Amino acid sequence: MKYRDLFAGVGGLLVFFGLWQGLVSSGLVQYEYVPAPSVIARGLAGMAGGAEMWEEIGHTLMAALLGWAIACGAGTAIGVVLGLSPKTRRYTLASVEMLRPLPGIAFVPVALLLFGFSIQMELLVIVAPVIWPALVNSMGGVMAVSERLTDVARTLRLSALSTITTILLPAAAPAILIGARLALTLSLIMAVAAEMIGNPVGLGYAVVREQQAMHPDRMFGYVLIMGALGILLDAGLRGIARLLLPGEFRRLSIQGRA
Amino acid sequence: MKFKRLAQLLPPPVGLLPLAAVLLVWQCVAPDESPSFPPPSNWWTAIRGLTADGLLGPAVLATLQNFAAGLLAACALGFTLGLLIGVLPGLRRWTGMLLEYLRALPPPVVVPIAILMLGFSPGMQIGVIAYTTAWPILLNTVAGVAAIRELQLDVGRSMRMPWTVRMIKIVIPATLPAFLLGVRVAVSLAIVVTLLVEMFTGLPGIGLLMVTGQRNFNSSQVFGLLAVVGLLAFCLTLAFNLIEGLVLSRWPPRRSAGA
Repeated sequence: MKYRDLFAGVGGLLVFFGLWQGLVSSGLVQYEYVPAPSVIARGLAGMAGGAEMWEEIGHTLMAALLGWAIACGAGTAIGVVLGLSPKTRRYTLASVEMLRPLPGIAFVPVALLLFGFSIQMELLVIVAPVIWPALVNSMGGVMAVSERLTDVARTLRLSALSTITTILLPAAAPAILIGARLALTLSLIMAVAAEMIGNPVGLGYAVVREQQAMHPDRMFGYVLIMGALGILLDAGLRGIARLLLPGEFRRLSIQGRA
Repeated sequence: MKFKRLAQLLPPPVGLLPLAAVLLVWQCVAPDESPSFPPPSNWWTAIRGLTADGLLGPAVLATLQNFAAGLLAACALGFTLGLLIGVLPGLRRWTGMLLEYLRALPPPVVVPIAILMLGFSPGMQIGVIAYTTAWPILLNTVAGVAAIRELQLDVGRSMRMPWTVRMIKIVIPATLPAFLLGVRVAVSLAIVVTLLVEMFTGLPGIGLLMVTGQRNFNSSQVFGLLAVVGLLAFCLTLAFNLIEGLVLSRWPPRRSAGA
Protein backbone atom coordinates (compact mmCIF):
# COMPACT_ATOMS: atom_id res chain seq x y z
CA MET A 1 0.00 0.00 0.00
CA LYS A 2 2.72 2.41 1.04
CA TYR A 3 4.88 1.46 -1.93
CA ARG A 4 1.96 1.90 -4.26
CA ASP A 5 1.49 5.47 -3.00
CA LEU A 6 5.19 6.16 -3.44
CA PHE A 7 5.14 4.71 -6.91
CA ALA A 8 2.10 6.75 -7.94
CA GLY A 9 3.55 9.90 -6.33
CA VAL A 10 6.83 9.61 -8.22
CA GLY A 11 4.87 8.70 -11.32
CA GLY A 12 2.81 11.87 -10.98
CA LEU A 13 5.98 13.96 -10.71
CA LEU A 14 7.46 12.27 -13.79
CA VAL A 15 4.25 12.80 -15.77
CA PHE A 16 4.23 16.48 -14.79
CA PHE A 17 7.81 17.17 -15.81
CA GLY A 18 7.48 14.90 -18.86
CA LEU A 19 4.44 16.82 -20.08
CA TRP A 20 6.24 20.10 -19.47
CA GLN A 21 9.29 18.88 -21.39
CA GLY A 22 7.17 17.51 -24.22
CA LEU A 23 5.00 20.58 -24.60
CA VAL A 24 7.92 23.01 -24.64
CA SER A 25 10.43 21.05 -26.74
CA SER A 26 7.84 19.99 -29.30
CA GLY A 27 6.95 23.64 -29.75
CA LEU A 28 3.29 23.12 -28.85
CA VAL A 29 3.72 25.69 -26.11
CA GLN A 30 5.98 28.48 -27.18
CA TYR A 31 6.45 30.83 -24.36
CA GLU A 32 9.50 32.98 -24.32
CA TYR A 33 10.15 32.67 -20.62
CA VAL A 34 9.23 29.06 -19.89
CA PRO A 35 12.26 26.86 -20.50
CA ALA A 36 12.00 23.09 -20.72
CA PRO A 37 12.99 21.08 -17.62
CA SER A 38 16.10 19.83 -19.44
CA VAL A 39 17.25 23.43 -19.95
CA ILE A 40 16.56 24.21 -16.28
CA ALA A 41 18.53 21.13 -15.26
CA ARG A 42 21.47 22.26 -17.38
CA GLY A 43 21.28 25.71 -15.78
CA LEU A 44 21.20 24.14 -12.33
CA ALA A 45 24.17 21.92 -13.12
CA GLY A 46 26.12 24.96 -14.28
CA MET A 47 25.32 26.82 -11.06
CA ALA A 48 26.13 23.83 -8.86
CA GLY A 49 29.68 23.90 -10.21
CA GLY A 50 30.32 27.42 -8.90
CA ALA A 51 30.48 28.67 -5.32
CA GLU A 52 27.85 31.42 -5.66
CA MET A 53 24.76 29.23 -5.44
CA TRP A 54 26.05 27.38 -2.38
CA GLU A 55 26.84 30.65 -0.64
CA GLU A 56 23.33 31.90 -1.39
CA ILE A 57 21.78 28.70 -0.06
CA GLY A 58 23.97 28.99 3.02
CA HIS A 59 22.99 32.59 3.68
CA THR A 60 19.25 32.02 3.34
CA LEU A 61 19.41 28.86 5.46
CA MET A 62 21.39 30.66 8.14
CA ALA A 63 18.99 33.62 8.26
CA ALA A 64 15.89 31.39 8.30
CA LEU A 65 17.24 29.05 10.99
CA LEU A 66 18.59 31.86 13.18
CA GLY A 67 15.29 33.74 12.96
CA TRP A 68 13.41 30.51 13.63
CA ALA A 69 15.52 29.75 16.71
CA ILE A 70 15.03 33.25 18.15
CA ALA A 71 11.30 33.25 17.45
CA CYS A 72 10.77 29.74 18.83
CA GLY A 73 12.82 30.44 21.94
CA ALA A 74 11.04 33.68 22.76
CA GLY A 75 7.63 32.49 21.59
CA THR A 76 7.76 29.25 23.56
CA ALA A 77 8.98 30.99 26.73
CA ILE A 78 6.19 33.57 26.59
CA GLY A 79 3.68 30.91 25.55
CA VAL A 80 4.52 28.72 28.54
CA VAL A 81 4.17 31.66 30.94
CA LEU A 82 0.82 32.62 29.41
CA GLY A 83 -0.33 29.01 29.47
CA LEU A 84 0.52 28.68 33.16
CA SER A 85 -1.10 31.83 34.45
CA PRO A 86 -4.73 32.69 33.66
CA LYS A 87 -4.21 36.13 35.17
CA THR A 88 -1.32 36.99 32.86
CA ARG A 89 -3.42 35.70 29.99
CA ARG A 90 -6.28 37.93 30.94
CA TYR A 91 -4.09 41.01 30.93
CA THR A 92 -2.15 40.29 27.72
CA LEU A 93 -4.17 38.09 25.38
CA ALA A 94 -6.00 40.96 23.68
CA SER A 95 -2.64 42.56 22.83
CA VAL A 96 -1.47 39.27 21.36
CA GLU A 97 -4.64 38.94 19.27
CA MET A 98 -4.23 42.53 18.10
CA LEU A 99 -0.62 42.09 16.99
CA ARG A 100 -0.80 38.53 15.69
CA PRO A 101 -2.52 39.23 12.35
CA LEU A 102 0.07 41.91 11.50
CA PRO A 103 1.66 40.52 8.32
CA GLY A 104 5.43 40.02 8.54
CA ILE A 105 5.95 41.54 5.14
CA ALA A 106 4.77 44.91 6.48
CA PHE A 107 7.90 44.95 8.68
CA VAL A 108 10.19 45.07 5.63
CA PRO A 109 10.09 48.88 5.26
CA VAL A 110 10.44 49.35 9.03
CA ALA A 111 13.35 46.90 9.15
CA LEU A 112 15.04 48.65 6.23
CA LEU A 113 14.68 52.01 8.00
CA LEU A 114 16.12 50.65 11.21
CA PHE A 115 18.88 48.34 9.97
CA GLY A 116 19.48 49.05 6.27
CA PHE A 117 20.71 46.13 4.16
CA SER A 118 21.80 43.70 6.84
CA ILE A 119 21.13 40.34 8.42
CA GLN A 120 19.40 42.12 11.34
CA MET A 121 16.87 43.46 8.86
CA GLU A 122 16.12 39.91 7.70
CA LEU A 123 15.90 38.68 11.27
CA LEU A 124 13.34 41.33 12.26
CA VAL A 125 11.18 40.42 9.25
CA ILE A 126 11.45 36.72 10.14
CA VAL A 127 10.98 36.93 13.91
CA ALA A 128 8.04 39.35 13.90
CA PRO A 129 5.53 36.94 12.30
CA VAL A 130 7.21 33.63 13.23
CA ILE A 131 6.99 34.19 16.98
CA TRP A 132 3.17 33.82 16.92
CA PRO A 133 2.75 30.17 15.91
CA ALA A 134 5.41 29.25 18.50
CA LEU A 135 3.70 31.32 21.19
CA VAL A 136 0.12 30.30 20.51
CA ASN A 137 0.85 26.58 20.16
CA SER A 138 2.99 26.35 23.30
CA MET A 139 0.37 28.33 25.24
CA GLY A 140 -2.34 25.98 24.02
CA GLY A 141 -0.17 22.97 24.79
CA VAL A 142 0.49 24.05 28.37
CA MET A 143 -3.19 24.95 28.91
CA ALA A 144 -4.23 21.51 27.69
CA VAL A 145 -2.01 19.64 30.17
CA SER A 146 -4.30 17.47 32.21
CA GLU A 147 -5.26 18.58 35.71
CA ARG A 148 -4.14 15.20 37.02
CA LEU A 149 -0.56 15.74 35.93
CA THR A 150 -0.32 19.04 37.77
CA ASP A 151 -1.91 17.34 40.79
CA VAL A 152 0.85 14.75 40.69
CA ALA A 153 3.41 17.55 40.71
CA ARG A 154 1.73 19.08 43.73
CA THR A 155 1.51 15.75 45.56
CA LEU A 156 5.20 15.16 44.98
CA ARG A 157 5.85 18.71 46.24
CA LEU A 158 7.89 19.52 43.15
CA SER A 159 9.33 23.02 42.95
CA ALA A 160 7.87 25.34 40.34
CA LEU A 161 10.92 24.95 38.14
CA SER A 162 10.96 21.15 38.21
CA THR A 163 7.20 21.08 37.66
CA ILE A 164 7.77 22.98 34.45
CA THR A 165 10.77 20.98 33.26
CA THR A 166 9.67 17.49 34.26
CA ILE A 167 5.89 17.65 33.89
CA LEU A 168 4.60 20.56 31.82
CA LEU A 169 7.16 20.84 29.04
CA PRO A 170 7.18 17.12 28.18
CA ALA A 171 3.37 17.04 28.24
CA ALA A 172 3.17 20.12 26.03
CA ALA A 173 6.01 19.01 23.73
CA PRO A 174 3.82 17.77 20.85
CA ALA A 175 1.96 21.09 20.66
CA ILE A 176 5.21 23.04 20.96
CA LEU A 177 6.72 21.00 18.13
CA ILE A 178 3.69 21.62 15.92
CA GLY A 179 4.21 25.34 16.49
CA ALA A 180 7.89 24.94 15.70
CA ARG A 181 7.05 23.13 12.49
CA LEU A 182 4.67 25.84 11.30
CA ALA A 183 7.28 28.40 12.34
CA LEU A 184 10.00 26.72 10.29
CA THR A 185 8.02 26.83 7.06
CA LEU A 186 7.14 30.45 7.71
CA SER A 187 10.78 31.34 8.52
CA LEU A 188 11.97 30.22 5.11
CA ILE A 189 9.16 32.15 3.40
CA MET A 190 9.93 35.33 5.33
CA ALA A 191 13.70 35.01 4.75
CA VAL A 192 13.09 34.76 1.02
CA ALA A 193 10.64 37.68 1.06
CA ALA A 194 13.07 39.84 3.07
CA GLU A 195 15.81 39.10 0.54
CA MET A 196 13.54 39.88 -2.40
CA ILE A 197 12.48 43.35 -1.30
CA GLY A 198 15.13 44.18 1.30
CA ASN A 199 18.58 42.78 1.90
CA PRO A 200 19.96 41.91 -1.59
CA VAL A 201 21.66 38.60 -0.80
CA GLY A 202 20.75 34.92 -0.65
CA LEU A 203 18.24 32.86 -2.62
CA GLY A 204 15.46 35.46 -2.57
CA TYR A 205 17.65 38.04 -4.24
CA ALA A 206 19.08 35.43 -6.63
CA VAL A 207 15.61 34.74 -8.06
CA VAL A 208 14.97 38.45 -8.57
CA ARG A 209 18.41 38.96 -10.12
CA GLU A 210 17.94 36.13 -12.60
CA GLN A 211 14.47 37.36 -13.48
CA GLN A 212 15.74 40.85 -14.21
CA ALA A 213 18.71 39.45 -16.14
CA MET A 214 16.24 37.42 -18.25
CA HIS A 215 17.74 34.07 -17.29
CA PRO A 216 14.55 32.06 -16.83
CA ASP A 217 16.45 28.77 -16.68
CA ARG A 218 18.47 29.90 -13.67
CA MET A 219 15.43 31.56 -12.10
CA PHE A 220 13.42 28.33 -12.29
CA GLY A 221 16.49 26.49 -11.02
CA TYR A 222 16.59 28.64 -7.89
CA VAL A 223 12.84 28.20 -7.42
CA LEU A 224 13.16 24.41 -7.58
CA ILE A 225 16.01 24.55 -5.04
CA MET A 226 13.81 26.49 -2.62
CA GLY A 227 11.03 23.93 -2.87
CA ALA A 228 13.51 21.16 -2.10
CA LEU A 229 14.95 23.19 0.79
CA GLY A 230 11.50 23.64 2.34
CA ILE A 231 10.79 19.92 2.15
CA LEU A 232 14.22 18.99 3.56
CA LEU A 233 13.88 21.39 6.50
CA ASP A 234 10.44 20.03 7.32
CA ALA A 235 11.61 16.44 7.04
CA GLY A 236 14.61 17.21 9.24
CA LEU A 237 12.45 18.70 11.97
CA ARG A 238 10.07 15.75 11.82
CA GLY A 239 13.02 13.39 12.12
CA ILE A 240 14.25 15.20 15.22
CA ALA A 241 10.73 15.20 16.67
CA ARG A 242 10.47 11.47 16.13
CA LEU A 243 13.65 10.97 18.14
CA LEU A 244 12.49 13.24 20.94
CA LEU A 245 8.87 12.21 21.35
CA PRO A 246 7.47 8.98 22.73
CA GLY A 247 5.23 6.65 20.71
CA GLU A 248 1.78 8.07 20.38
CA PHE A 249 2.90 11.63 19.76
CA ARG A 250 5.20 10.72 16.91
CA ARG A 251 2.78 11.65 14.23
CA LEU A 252 3.15 15.40 14.06
CA SER A 253 0.08 16.28 12.12
CA ILE A 254 -0.65 19.88 11.33
CA GLN A 255 -4.25 19.01 10.59
CA GLY A 256 -6.59 21.04 12.72
CA ARG A 257 -3.85 23.29 14.02
CA ALA A 258 -2.84 25.29 11.01
CA MET B 1 -27.15 38.91 19.52
CA LYS B 2 -24.58 39.76 16.87
CA PHE B 3 -22.60 41.81 19.33
CA LYS B 4 -22.62 39.01 21.84
CA ARG B 5 -21.16 36.69 19.25
CA LEU B 6 -18.52 39.28 18.40
CA ALA B 7 -17.62 39.70 22.06
CA GLN B 8 -17.23 35.95 22.49
CA LEU B 9 -14.64 35.85 19.75
CA LEU B 10 -12.40 38.37 21.47
CA PRO B 11 -10.34 38.03 24.63
CA PRO B 12 -11.17 40.45 27.48
CA PRO B 13 -10.27 44.01 26.46
CA VAL B 14 -8.19 44.59 29.63
CA GLY B 15 -5.59 42.55 27.76
CA LEU B 16 -4.94 45.58 25.58
CA LEU B 17 -3.19 47.25 28.54
CA PRO B 18 0.37 46.06 27.68
CA LEU B 19 0.05 47.28 24.12
CA ALA B 20 -1.32 50.62 25.28
CA ALA B 21 1.45 50.90 27.87
CA VAL B 22 4.16 50.27 25.28
CA LEU B 23 2.70 52.90 22.96
CA LEU B 24 2.38 55.37 25.83
CA VAL B 25 5.98 54.89 26.97
CA TRP B 26 7.10 55.16 23.35
CA GLN B 27 5.20 58.43 23.02
CA CYS B 28 6.81 59.87 26.18
CA VAL B 29 10.37 58.63 25.63
CA ALA B 30 10.93 59.02 21.89
CA PRO B 31 12.30 62.40 20.75
CA ASP B 32 9.93 64.24 18.45
CA GLU B 33 12.22 64.12 15.41
CA SER B 34 13.50 60.57 15.96
CA PRO B 35 14.45 59.11 12.56
CA SER B 36 14.12 55.51 13.74
CA PHE B 37 11.42 55.44 16.40
CA PRO B 38 9.05 58.37 15.85
CA PRO B 39 6.44 58.75 18.62
CA PRO B 40 2.94 57.43 17.81
CA SER B 41 1.47 60.95 17.64
CA ASN B 42 3.72 61.58 14.62
CA TRP B 43 2.34 58.42 12.98
CA TRP B 44 -1.10 59.89 13.30
CA THR B 45 0.05 63.18 11.76
CA ALA B 46 1.67 61.33 8.86
CA ILE B 47 -1.47 59.27 8.23
CA ARG B 48 -3.59 62.42 8.38
CA GLY B 49 -1.22 63.96 5.80
CA LEU B 50 -1.65 60.98 3.50
CA THR B 51 -5.42 61.19 3.84
CA ALA B 52 -5.40 64.92 3.11
CA ASP B 53 -3.38 64.28 -0.06
CA GLY B 54 -5.99 61.73 -1.11
CA LEU B 55 -3.39 58.93 -1.15
CA LEU B 56 -4.46 56.61 1.63
CA GLY B 57 -8.08 55.90 0.64
CA PRO B 58 -7.38 54.71 -2.92
CA ALA B 59 -4.37 52.69 -1.72
CA VAL B 60 -6.42 50.88 0.94
CA LEU B 61 -9.17 50.28 -1.60
CA ALA B 62 -6.75 48.89 -4.20
CA THR B 63 -5.15 46.55 -1.67
CA LEU B 64 -8.50 45.32 -0.36
CA GLN B 65 -9.87 44.77 -3.87
CA ASN B 66 -6.90 42.71 -5.00
CA PHE B 67 -6.90 40.81 -1.72
CA ALA B 68 -10.60 39.96 -2.06
CA ALA B 69 -10.43 39.06 -5.75
CA GLY B 70 -7.39 36.84 -5.25
CA LEU B 71 -8.81 35.14 -2.19
CA LEU B 72 -12.19 34.46 -3.83
CA ALA B 73 -10.48 32.99 -6.88
CA ALA B 74 -8.32 30.86 -4.57
CA CYS B 75 -11.41 29.62 -2.70
CA ALA B 76 -13.15 28.63 -5.92
CA LEU B 77 -10.02 27.01 -7.36
CA GLY B 78 -8.89 25.29 -4.17
CA PHE B 79 -12.32 23.96 -3.21
CA THR B 80 -13.20 22.64 -6.66
CA LEU B 81 -9.85 20.98 -7.27
CA GLY B 82 -9.73 19.76 -3.68
CA LEU B 83 -13.15 18.09 -4.00
CA LEU B 84 -12.16 16.56 -7.32
CA ILE B 85 -8.86 15.19 -6.04
CA GLY B 86 -10.52 14.13 -2.80
CA VAL B 87 -13.28 12.03 -4.36
CA LEU B 88 -10.98 10.33 -6.86
CA PRO B 89 -8.48 8.25 -4.82
CA GLY B 90 -6.43 7.39 -7.89
CA LEU B 91 -5.93 11.05 -8.72
CA ARG B 92 -5.10 11.71 -5.07
CA ARG B 93 -2.29 9.17 -5.11
CA TRP B 94 -0.85 10.32 -8.40
CA THR B 95 -0.88 14.03 -7.58
CA GLY B 96 0.11 13.68 -3.91
CA MET B 97 3.84 14.21 -4.27
CA LEU B 98 3.54 16.86 -6.97
CA LEU B 99 1.13 18.90 -4.85
CA GLU B 100 3.36 18.60 -1.78
CA TYR B 101 6.30 19.84 -3.82
CA LEU B 102 4.48 22.73 -5.48
CA ARG B 103 3.07 23.73 -2.10
CA ALA B 104 6.56 23.79 -0.60
CA LEU B 105 7.70 26.55 -2.98
CA PRO B 106 7.80 29.73 -0.88
CA PRO B 107 4.94 31.96 -2.13
CA PRO B 108 7.16 35.06 -2.62
CA VAL B 109 9.18 33.43 -5.41
CA VAL B 110 6.03 32.97 -7.46
CA VAL B 111 6.03 36.75 -7.99
CA PRO B 112 9.13 36.94 -10.26
CA ILE B 113 7.86 33.97 -12.28
CA ALA B 114 4.49 35.61 -12.74
CA ILE B 115 6.12 38.88 -13.77
CA LEU B 116 8.12 37.11 -16.45
CA MET B 117 5.06 35.29 -17.74
CA LEU B 118 2.29 37.86 -17.30
CA GLY B 119 4.08 41.20 -17.04
CA PHE B 120 3.25 43.98 -14.60
CA SER B 121 -0.52 44.15 -14.30
CA PRO B 122 -3.29 43.97 -11.72
CA GLY B 123 -4.26 40.65 -13.34
CA MET B 124 -0.81 39.31 -12.53
CA GLN B 125 -1.23 40.41 -8.92
CA ILE B 126 -4.59 38.69 -8.54
CA GLY B 127 -3.22 35.59 -10.27
CA VAL B 128 -0.29 35.41 -7.87
CA ILE B 129 -2.52 35.82 -4.82
CA ALA B 130 -4.94 33.19 -6.11
CA TYR B 131 -2.18 30.70 -6.95
CA THR B 132 -0.30 30.99 -3.68
CA THR B 133 -3.33 31.00 -1.40
CA ALA B 134 -5.15 28.17 -3.19
CA TRP B 135 -2.69 25.63 -1.71
CA PRO B 136 -3.79 25.57 1.92
CA ILE B 137 -7.43 25.54 0.77
CA LEU B 138 -6.85 22.74 -1.72
CA LEU B 139 -4.84 20.52 0.63
CA ASN B 140 -7.23 20.99 3.54
CA THR B 141 -10.20 20.23 1.30
CA VAL B 142 -8.55 17.04 0.06
CA ALA B 143 -7.87 16.00 3.65
CA GLY B 144 -11.46 16.88 4.58
CA VAL B 145 -12.91 14.67 1.85
CA ALA B 146 -10.54 11.86 2.77
CA ALA B 147 -11.74 12.04 6.38
CA ILE B 148 -15.42 11.48 5.54
CA ARG B 149 -16.52 8.17 7.00
CA GLU B 150 -17.24 5.40 4.57
CA LEU B 151 -20.56 4.88 6.38
CA GLN B 152 -21.81 8.34 5.44
CA LEU B 153 -21.07 7.73 1.79
CA ASP B 154 -22.74 4.31 2.01
CA VAL B 155 -25.92 5.94 3.26
CA GLY B 156 -26.03 8.01 0.09
CA ARG B 157 -25.39 4.96 -2.04
CA SER B 158 -28.06 2.85 -0.37
CA MET B 159 -30.57 5.67 -0.79
CA ARG B 160 -29.69 5.56 -4.47
CA MET B 161 -28.81 9.21 -4.55
CA PRO B 162 -27.37 10.32 -7.87
CA TRP B 163 -23.72 11.38 -7.86
CA THR B 164 -24.51 15.11 -7.83
CA VAL B 165 -26.93 14.82 -4.90
CA ARG B 166 -24.38 12.80 -2.92
CA MET B 167 -21.85 15.58 -3.49
CA ILE B 168 -24.23 18.35 -2.46
CA LYS B 169 -25.88 16.60 0.49
CA ILE B 170 -23.02 14.57 1.93
CA VAL B 171 -19.55 15.39 0.65
CA ILE B 172 -19.65 19.19 0.54
CA PRO B 173 -21.25 19.79 3.97
CA ALA B 174 -18.85 17.29 5.57
CA THR B 175 -15.88 19.01 3.96
CA LEU B 176 -16.82 22.57 4.93
CA PRO B 177 -14.96 22.67 8.30
CA ALA B 178 -11.71 21.50 6.69
CA PHE B 179 -12.21 23.94 3.83
CA LEU B 180 -12.70 26.81 6.29
CA LEU B 181 -9.54 25.79 8.12
CA GLY B 182 -7.71 26.17 4.81
CA VAL B 183 -9.31 29.57 4.19
CA ARG B 184 -8.15 30.70 7.65
CA VAL B 185 -4.55 30.06 6.63
CA ALA B 186 -5.21 31.56 3.20
CA VAL B 187 -6.53 34.86 4.62
CA SER B 188 -3.29 35.73 6.38
CA LEU B 189 -1.23 34.46 3.48
CA ALA B 190 -3.26 36.54 1.01
CA ILE B 191 -2.55 39.73 2.99
CA VAL B 192 1.17 38.97 2.92
CA VAL B 193 1.24 38.21 -0.81
CA THR B 194 -0.88 41.26 -1.72
CA LEU B 195 1.50 43.60 0.11
CA LEU B 196 4.55 41.78 -1.23
CA VAL B 197 3.47 42.22 -4.84
CA GLU B 198 2.80 45.90 -4.25
CA MET B 199 6.20 46.42 -2.62
CA PHE B 200 7.99 44.39 -5.24
CA THR B 201 6.37 45.72 -8.41
CA GLY B 202 5.19 49.19 -7.43
CA LEU B 203 1.59 48.44 -8.31
CA PRO B 204 -0.68 50.83 -6.36
CA GLY B 205 -1.66 49.91 -2.81
CA ILE B 206 -0.61 50.19 0.82
CA GLY B 207 2.56 48.21 0.12
CA LEU B 208 3.71 50.82 -2.38
CA LEU B 209 2.95 53.65 0.06
CA MET B 210 5.06 51.92 2.72
CA VAL B 211 8.02 51.45 0.38
CA THR B 212 7.73 55.07 -0.79
CA GLY B 213 7.78 56.23 2.81
CA GLN B 214 10.83 54.10 3.52
CA ARG B 215 12.71 55.40 0.47
CA ASN B 216 12.01 58.97 1.58
CA PHE B 217 13.20 58.09 5.10
CA ASN B 218 9.77 59.14 6.31
CA SER B 219 9.71 56.88 9.34
CA SER B 220 6.47 58.34 10.75
CA GLN B 221 4.67 57.37 7.56
CA VAL B 222 6.13 53.86 7.61
CA PHE B 223 5.15 53.26 11.24
CA GLY B 224 1.72 54.83 10.69
CA LEU B 225 1.07 52.56 7.71
CA LEU B 226 2.29 49.59 9.74
CA ALA B 227 -0.42 50.41 12.26
CA VAL B 228 -2.99 50.78 9.47
CA VAL B 229 -2.00 47.40 8.02
CA GLY B 230 -2.20 45.83 11.46
CA LEU B 231 -5.67 47.22 12.02
CA LEU B 232 -6.84 46.07 8.57
CA ALA B 233 -5.41 42.58 9.09
CA PHE B 234 -7.07 42.39 12.49
CA CYS B 235 -10.45 43.39 11.03
CA LEU B 236 -10.13 40.90 8.15
CA THR B 237 -9.29 38.09 10.57
CA LEU B 238 -12.21 39.05 12.76
CA ALA B 239 -14.55 39.16 9.76
CA PHE B 240 -13.38 35.70 8.76
CA ASN B 241 -13.98 34.39 12.29
CA LEU B 242 -17.54 35.75 12.16
CA ILE B 243 -18.25 34.16 8.79
CA GLU B 244 -16.71 30.88 9.92
CA GLY B 245 -18.87 30.92 13.04
CA LEU B 246 -22.02 31.52 10.99
CA VAL B 247 -21.22 28.78 8.48
CA LEU B 248 -20.28 26.27 11.17
CA SER B 249 -23.46 26.96 13.14
CA ARG B 250 -25.47 26.22 9.99
CA TRP B 251 -23.47 23.08 9.09
CA PRO B 252 -21.91 21.97 12.39
CA PRO B 253 -18.83 19.76 12.06
CA ARG B 254 -19.42 16.21 13.23
CA ARG B 255 -16.82 14.78 15.56
CA SER B 256 -17.26 11.41 13.95
CA ALA B 257 -16.47 12.78 10.53
CA GLY B 258 -13.06 14.02 11.50
CA ALA B 259 -11.82 10.95 13.36
